[in-house]
Amino acid sequence: MEHIELFFKSIFIDNMVFATFLGMCSYLAVSKKVSTAVGLGAAVIFVLAVTVPINWLLDQYLLQDGALAWLGEEYASYDLGFLSFILFIATIATMVQLVEIVVEKFSPSLYNSLGIFLPLIAVNCAILGGSLFMQSREIPTLGLALNYGISSGIGWFLAILAIAAIREKIRYSNVPAPLRGLGITFIITGLMAIGFMSFGGMLTGGDEETPSLDSNPENLGVKTEQIQEENTETAQTVEVSTITKQ
Amino acid sequence: MGLKQNLHKLKEKYKGTKMAPAFNALHTFLYTPNETTHSGSHVRAADDLKRTMNTVIMALIPCLIFGIFNAGYQHYAAIDNTLRLDPLGNFFTWDNFILGAWTVLPLVIVSYGVGLLVEFIFAVIKGHEVEEGYLVTGMLVPLIVPIDIPLWMLAVAVIFGVVIGKEVFGGTGMNILNPALTIRAFLFFAYPTWMSGDKVWVHGAKEMAGQPDAISGETILGSLAQNHEPIYSIWDSFWGFIPGSVGETSTFLILIGALFLIFTKIGSWRIMLSAVLGALAMGLIFNGVVDAGWIKDGSSFYGLMSETFWHHLVIGGLAFGIVYMATDPVTASQTNKGKWIYGFLIGFISVLIRVFNPAYPEGVMLAILLMNVFAPTIDHYVVRGNIKKRMKRLKAKTA
Repeated sequence: MEHIELFFKSIFIDNMVFATFLGMCSYLAVSKKVSTAVGLGAAVIFVLAVTVPINWLLDQYLLQDGALAWLGEEYASYDLGFLSFILFIATIATMVQLVEIVVEKFSPSLYNSLGIFLPLIAVNCAILGGSLFMQSREIPTLGLALNYGISSGIGWFLAILAIAAIREKIRYSNVPAPLRGLGITFIITGLMAIGFMSFGGMLTGGDEETPSLDSNPENLGVKTEQIQEENTETAQTVEVSTITKQ
Repeated sequence: MGLKQNLHKLKEKYKGTKMAPAFNALHTFLYTPNETTHSGSHVRAADDLKRTMNTVIMALIPCLIFGIFNAGYQHYAAIDNTLRLDPLGNFFTWDNFILGAWTVLPLVIVSYGVGLLVEFIFAVIKGHEVEEGYLVTGMLVPLIVPIDIPLWMLAVAVIFGVVIGKEVFGGTGMNILNPALTIRAFLFFAYPTWMSGDKVWVHGAKEMAGQPDAISGETILGSLAQNHEPIYSIWDSFWGFIPGSVGETSTFLILIGALFLIFTKIGSWRIMLSAVLGALAMGLIFNGVVDAGWIKDGSSFYGLMSETFWHHLVIGGLAFGIVYMATDPVTASQTNKGKWIYGFLIGFISVLIRVFNPAYPEGVMLAILLMNVFAPTIDHYVVRGNIKKRMKRLKAKTA
C-alpha cells in the first residue's frame, strides 16, 4: 500500500515538471519530436532509478547525522550532511557517463539526436532534485527509494512525452511571432500544469487510519489542528528544500 | 434601406482597412454571405464552421432555459422548503423566470460581450477574419459557473481563457485545452471561495449567510463527500431540480442535447459512449471495494464510494462535461481508436477525482483538461500503430 501510494504520488501529484518545475532545460529543449523525447525520458527514468537508491545508501550510512555509528562509538556524533551535494552529484555524473556510453554503443541515432543534452542530464535539476527530495522527505527504506526514483522518472517522462506530442501538433499553428518557440512552450507547460492539478490534494486529505475522527463532531477541531500541523510541516520542508537548492 | 444594405455599405467603405474584419464578422453573423470561392478546387459543403457552432448552441438552449427557471426555483425553494414537495408544479412560474433571467442573462451577456470583444481586437490587430470559435464557448461559460459569480471575475476569466487559452495558439482550431474549461479552471483556482462550497450554488445564499433567514444550497456531491444523506432523490437530479452550476443540473435535457448532437453528427458518439463506460467502470470498482468490506462506514470516502455506480452519471456535472466539452473536436483525440481511449479515461478519472480528492468535489472539469493534455500523445501512438500495421501488410504483400 505504501509503495502504491508513493508511486502514484510521485507520478501525478508531486510531478517533477508540473509541481516543482524541475528539469526544465532539457524538457524545453528536447521536446520538439516525440521519438527524441521518449529517448531522453527513458534515460532520465534510468538515471533516477539508479542514483536515488545509491544516494539513499550514501545518505543512510555516510551523510546523515549519526550515520557513521557503524564505524564505532566515537564516530556517532559526526554529521557529514554538508557533503550531500558533492557526493550526490558525483554519483549522478558517474551514472550519466555510463548511460552515455551505453546509448552511444547501442543506439547511435538516438545518441546523435539527443546531442549535448545527454551528458547534460548530469546537471539536470530533476535528477539532483530527486536525490535531495529523497533526503528531505526522509524516505525510510531502500525499496521505497528505488520506487521513488522510478516513479518520479516516469512522471518526468510523461510530461516530456505529452509536451512533445503537443508541440508536434501545433507545429503549423499560427502562433504570434513573439511567442514562437520557447514562449508558447512555457504557456503550454503552464496550461498542462492546470490539467495536472486534478490530482493535487489527493491522498493527503483522507485519513483512513482514524475513521472515528470525522464521524464524531467533537473531534472535528482536533482534525483541523492536525491538518494545520501537517500543512506547516510541508511548508517547512518546502522552505528547507528551497534553501538547500540555493 | 434595410440593415442589410447599411451593413453592406459599411463593409464596402472599410474594405481593405484595419477595421474590415469587424464589419465582415457582423455581416456574416447576421446574414449568409453571398460570396463564394471562384477558382481552384475546393469542397462545397453546407456545414461550415458557423453552422457547426450554431448546432451546438441549439443543443444548449434547452439547458439555458431550464437553468433560468432553476435559478429562481432554487432560490425560492431554499427559502420555503415546502416548494420542494411538488417540484414540477412550482417550477415553471413567472417568479422563477424573472428572478432567473435577472441573474443568468447578465452572465450570458458578459461572457459573450467580453469574449467577442477580445476576439474582435485580436482579429483587427492580426488582420484576419473574426473566427466563429467563441460562439460555443460563450454559451458554455455561463452554464458552467455558479449563479452568483461576480461579473468582473467572469470577465477577467474570459479574457484569460480567450487570450492565453486560445489566441496565443493562433485562434480557433489551434488551442490545446478547451477554452470554456480553461475559463472555469481559472475561476476555480483564482477565486475558490466563489466557486465551491455550499454557499455559491443558490442565488442569494452568500449574502444571507449568518442572518437568521440564511439559506444553504449544498449540492448532492457536497453532501456525499461529507457523508451526509443528500436531501434530493435521484429522480430530482435526473430532471434537474437541484442546486448546481447554472445549466448542468438537468441530465434529461443534456440527454436530449446529446441525441441531437449525435444525430447531426456534430458530437462524437464514440467519446460520449466511452466516457459513460469509463465512469460506470470506476463506479463499479468502488462499489466492489465497498462490498468487499475494505472501506469502513466511518471513512471519509465511504459516502461517495458506496453511491450506486450509475448514480454518478446523473449527479454533478459529469453528463454535461461528457456531452458538450469532452466532444470538442479541437481538443479531443482526432483518431477513432484514440477517441475510445480518451473518452474512457475522462469518465474513469472524473469519478476517481470525485471520490478520492477531498479538495475537489467534482472532477469532470479537471479530468477533461488532463485528457486534453494527453490527447495529442494518444493520437500520435494510434497513428504510429496504424503506420506499423500497414508497413507489415505491405511487406507481406511484396514479399
